[in-house]
Amino acid sequence: MDMLTLLGTWAAVFFTLGLFSILYRENPWYRIAESVYLGLAVGYQVALDMKYVRDQWGGQWSSSLPMMVGFAIAILISTLWYFRFTKQYFYLYRWPLAIIVGTGIGAALRTVIFAQFTTQIIAQAKLNLWVPTNWLTTVNNILIFIMVPAVVMYFWFTGSYRDSAPMKVVDKIARYTMMAGFGSAFGYTILTRYSMLIGRAQFLLGVTPNPIEAQTAFIVIAVIMLATMIGYDLMQKKKPAKT
Amino acid sequence: MSNILRRIEIPIILTIVATVLQVTPYYIEYKPLDDAANWINLWVLLIVAWATFIGPLSLIQVHGKTVQRRSSGWYYSVIVLVATVVMAISGLPLQEWGLGTKNPVYSWLFTYGQTALSGTMYAIIAFFITSAAYRAFRAKNIESTLVLVAGLFMVMSNAPFFTAAWPGFKTIGDWIFAVPNMATNRAVTIGAALGAIALAVRTLMGIERGYLRGGGD
Amino acid sequence: MGFIDKLQDIDRRWVYLLTWIFVLFPLIFPLGLPVPIQSESTKWYNSIKNIPDGSVVVFSPMYGTSGMPELFPMTLATMHQLWSKNVKIIVVTFWAEGALVFDMLLRQMDPSAAPYNKVYGTDWINVGYIPGSEPAMRAFGEDMAKTAPKDYINGKDTKSYPIMAKINSAKDVTLIVTIETGTPGYPEWLRQWQEPYKIPMVVGCIGVSAPGVAPYLQSGQVSAMLPGLTSSAEYELLINRKGLAIAGVDAVSMSHILVVLLVILGNVGYFATRRKS
Repeated sequence: MDMLTLLGTWAAVFFTLGLFSILYRENPWYRIAESVYLGLAVGYQVALDMKYVRDQWGGQWSSSLPMMVGFAIAILISTLWYFRFTKQYFYLYRWPLAIIVGTGIGAALRTVIFAQFTTQIIAQAKLNLWVPTNWLTTVNNILIFIMVPAVVMYFWFTGSYRDSAPMKVVDKIARYTMMAGFGSAFGYTILTRYSMLIGRAQFLLGVTPNPIEAQTAFIVIAVIMLATMIGYDLMQKKKPAKT
Repeated sequence: MSNILRRIEIPIILTIVATVLQVTPYYIEYKPLDDAANWINLWVLLIVAWATFIGPLSLIQVHGKTVQRRSSGWYYSVIVLVATVVMAISGLPLQEWGLGTKNPVYSWLFTYGQTALSGTMYAIIAFFITSAAYRAFRAKNIESTLVLVAGLFMVMSNAPFFTAAWPGFKTIGDWIFAVPNMATNRAVTIGAALGAIALAVRTLMGIERGYLRGGGD
Repeated sequence: MGFIDKLQDIDRRWVYLLTWIFVLFPLIFPLGLPVPIQSESTKWYNSIKNIPDGSVVVFSPMYGTSGMPELFPMTLATMHQLWSKNVKIIVVTFWAEGALVFDMLLRQMDPSAAPYNKVYGTDWINVGYIPGSEPAMRAFGEDMAKTAPKDYINGKDTKSYPIMAKINSAKDVTLIVTIETGTPGYPEWLRQWQEPYKIPMVVGCIGVSAPGVAPYLQSGQVSAMLPGLTSSAEYELLINRKGLAIAGVDAVSMSHILVVLLVILGNVGYFATRRKS
């Protein structure tokens, strides 16, 4: 393994354990790792965004004079973003923001009514409430048929309607449905979080295709970090209290 | 002149025009409108990309002040600033100068820095969620019992140890996913779709101005 | 504090230590626990297997390094299955890190070598990252070459590659394979590609996103879903290509056993305390 890769492996282990050290308590190893993370996370995207701008210029925008003018106008509008750092001309920052927000809303609004509303309503309406060959599907469809409107009504209806007897039943059905749904969400959250931890653990243990050198780095750096943190705590305990 | 430019109506009108230009061509076939919408869309991609320096500049502004004033923990701010500047500059698409995503510094920092750090940041949550589940998941009433039971069955249905021991865990987990979970999320999707439409209409009417706040105005 | 009271109040650092033990132990000493193949992974496998020859597939790694532990194994496995087929693949992402994640994939898999023998620019192309989220997805669907004028790997004109000779927009695409972790994600794909062009899509996602996909699975807008590491492990078994997912699935089982035990322990302590008082 070449020197840079070895150094990188040790650095990655250091950063990983540095962040994990927060589980013991707040400490300088964690602060260092966190600071590096903040810096890198903010900086890496610049490369990809600027690559896209350069590629666009190399594509259609430099093909003719009107296109070049169009590109220049887009860049000029984009420059208004940076007036957010001034007090006097802050309001100019709102112009490109307004265009972005409007475009985003418009792009979503075009098809949200179909993709996320009518198609779902149609799927709900198409539920077969009597499947003679499969009693479980029949029961499930009937349950879904009741549960979905109950949850929708739970969120929609406010005010004195909620005190009526039918709404109290609807509320109960809706709450029980949602509780079961949240349980499902919890189960999947556990899977995701542990998957991420397992991924990092595989790296620390050098499980293929991760570099095996990470194992040595894991042991050495973990010992150093624990020793410094526990040692510091013990020293603080031994110090006489200031009066 | 500057008083006219300051008016909130200008960005509101820009929002409305941008929204209408996106929506209308989908429903009305009119080539010039469609072409205008497509060009605006391509402009928007450039405008979004060019905003990329806001993050690093904001960070430099905040942490630069900390370093300047030698406030508490200022040395950590030095680390933040160095990391941001090095990552941003090494990645700039100037292949003639050896910079870009294939630059060794950028590549090294991304592979051994960003990958390790962002992966670990989310992995830590596993510890917190375990501790939280242990402390907070109590069968105090019917509703919390439902969450508890559904949650435990879902956890077991995602673990091969349980599903291999008894396939019923997977069957129950699939049922929870396909019935109450699906019902909840369908209702939320429908509600969210209507909420999105309501928000869009409010924005088009100029009532929704939350995205324009800031700067003391 | 009695033993019963302590049952529901174990110091959090002991819980953290137990978590480490339950995760590290099966990784150091693999237990070889059985991994039953379930319906989600089978459906995903069949969805990819049944893509007709000559189809155009848009493959989109819509996640960053934070999602890699859960999604990278399924990305590797899916690309293995796709590159083993006679289909045209366009790789595009609307997440900045997605392009860099795919770079990491190419360091582990070489599509030009055996057994795939795919030619870049003829059988597949990588147009990289396009900023702009949903408007970018819309623009890419309308006109691919205009929105992504250069390819990511060589920086050449996209239109100069043979694969793009007959592919101009989403109308020419047969299937969307998106592997994702958040926004932009499947709702944006649904709104900008699936609904306007009626293109089938399959979604590989982290576990947290899986519950939200359920209504779209039921309505048929999403044809198949692969949620999380366990399903990725099953998929690796189906394509006979064991990787990180299978290596980690024992740890999934052990960690889930720990969660179940701790929750039950906490409730036993709670009920015992309640009865006492």
